[in-house]
Amino acid sequence: MGLVTFLILSAFTIITAISVVFAKNAMYSVLSLIACFFTIAGHYLMLNAEFLAIVHIIVYAGAIMVLFLFVVMLLNLNTDNEIQKSLKLKFAGVISGGLIYLILLASTQSALPSIYELPERTSIGSVQEIGMKLFNEYMLPFQISSILFLSAMVGALLLAKK
Amino acid sequence: MNTLILCVGLGLFCLVAELINIRKLLLPILLVGLGVLFVFTLTTWGTELPPSIWGFSMETMIRFDNFSIAFSALAIFITALVFMLAIDYYKTEENHITDYASILMFTLTGALVLFSYWNMAMLYLGIEIVSISMYIMAGSRKFDTRSNEAGFKYFLMGAFASGFLLMGIAMVYGATGSFVIEEIALYANGGNLSPLFITGLVLILIAFFFKVSAVPFHFWSPDVYEGSPALVTAFMSTLVKITMFGAFYRLLSLAFPGAISEVYTILFIVATLTMSLGNLIAITQVSFKRILAYSGISHAGYMLIAIMAIPVDSSAALFYYTISYAIAGVGIFAAAIPVFFFMNNEKVEAFNGLGKKNPALAFIITILMLSMAGIPPFAGFLAKYYVFSKAVEFNLYAITIIAIINSIIGVYYYFKVILAMYTQEPDGIEVKPTTLYWTVAIACALLVIVIGILPNTLMGLMS
Repeated sequence: MGLVTFLILSAFTIITAISVVFAKNAMYSVLSLIACFFTIAGHYLMLNAEFLAIVHIIVYAGAIMVLFLFVVMLLNLNTDNEIQKSLKLKFAGVISGGLIYLILLASTQSALPSIYELPERTSIGSVQEIGMKLFNEYMLPFQISSILFLSAMVGALLLAKK
Repeated sequence: MNTLILCVGLGLFCLVAELINIRKLLLPILLVGLGVLFVFTLTTWGTELPPSIWGFSMETMIRFDNFSIAFSALAIFITALVFMLAIDYYKTEENHITDYASILMFTLTGALVLFSYWNMAMLYLGIEIVSISMYIMAGSRKFDTRSNEAGFKYFLMGAFASGFLLMGIAMVYGATGSFVIEEIALYANGGNLSPLFITGLVLILIAFFFKVSAVPFHFWSPDVYEGSPALVTAFMSTLVKITMFGAFYRLLSLAFPGAISEVYTILFIVATLTMSLGNLIAITQVSFKRILAYSGISHAGYMLIAIMAIPVDSSAALFYYTISYAIAGVGIFAAAIPVFFFMNNEKVEAFNGLGKKNPALAFIITILMLSMAGIPPFAGFLAKYYVFSKAVEFNLYAITIIAIINSIIGVYYYFKVILAMYTQEPDGIEVKPTTLYWTVAIACALLVIVIGILPNTLMGLMS
């Protein structure tokens, strides 16, 4: 059961991710990205990370993708005015990207289990567990991240106001 | 810990200042605050209590040792110098001053985190705070296309580098099962490292190479330095660079001491390329800010040698190098910003005949440039000497010879500016810096001389 779900989800993830890159229309590209995020949230669910799955959907599929859609619609991106990269650049990109992919694949190979099995159900990814961690052990990073967001917010205001 | 809280408090105060309408007084108050912070940081030397929040121990998140306190004090000092320049630089933009000040204060907070982190989560947060604040400041001149380009370019490339950092941290976590520095060190020292760990380390290295603008990840640096407002460039080329080097050194010396031999070849190649390309391209530049950007790249190469010599504890050498580099950098900008302003030109030719128009200013720029080039008796010479002697102590002869050849090449383009000041004919435009610019420029020039003549007190601190 676990393996079948995993395979179906993975197939969807890969297909939608590929269509993000290859879609001619920017709108299709954005929509497949949303689908891709949903399938990744499915993977999180299978790994007992319920909170992460929900946050992933809310933040990425909700907030960020709305922003993407707005930008695509406002800029009226068409295939006509897309700058075509030269063949040499494409070739260089494929080579370097492929090399990085190979290295990452080879290095993760050592850590991969040979057969897929669902992790046992635990409460490790539940909101309660994460809350306990966040307000005990990870208190300082939690508070420091507020500085990060404050800085970003002040910056957004700075760039937006006259 | 209290230093960090005080620093955040100063940043928040900037935002409150907007509400209670004390914009004119804000920067002087901040200077006083930074002075208090500086003294306070020095008093914590060797006595820092274990960090805790409301009784929860934060020992796995952050730790203050002499390394972090020394670097924090330096960062606070540099920020104070930049704020002194900001008083006159932002005189005409009064309605934005609170935003600028708060973002710069938050950058300092990020820097303090980066000097004392004990956890990969804190490392990532610190780097993001510094980077995001700098993306904004680089693009803060909204109606200038070059500033927009600088902010946007820095943001896109920086976000990419952050992605590498996250991926690297995730892989190191996958291999070691921990974010805490000492547990990673335990794994790294244990031998039999998994490929996952090495790949993770290399990805983290890539992110740091980007942040310190080492070749081949340097392409953003000249464009961003050139497009940003001059004061932001001063901040970026000094504080942000030394922050990233402090964090880089801390990471490799505390978390990966057992794995540094694995990436030694990468460090060697990158350091060689960074020094050579930085110096060679700087020769061909005509824009003063681009020359400083490429000089910053080549200095990153020299500082990478200090990183390579981590096994023989080169922290004192790196600290001395960052001090001499940052102070000379701020001083050069303190003297150059008035020149840019009066000549309305940021090229080297703006300095033509400055030796006749304003001999004192030209003299200060000459001292600081000579220090950057590494001419005795100024601090820049001893900085290079200490780094190279550490490298020789660790038997890194090849890289030391390359570095010495490079520092000879480097003298050429620093002299291009000096020659423009003394041999070219002046035009009629006068350059009259205000008192604050004079103060900072003279203070930096004096410091460069004093540190260069009496290095022992500083070098003794770290050991």
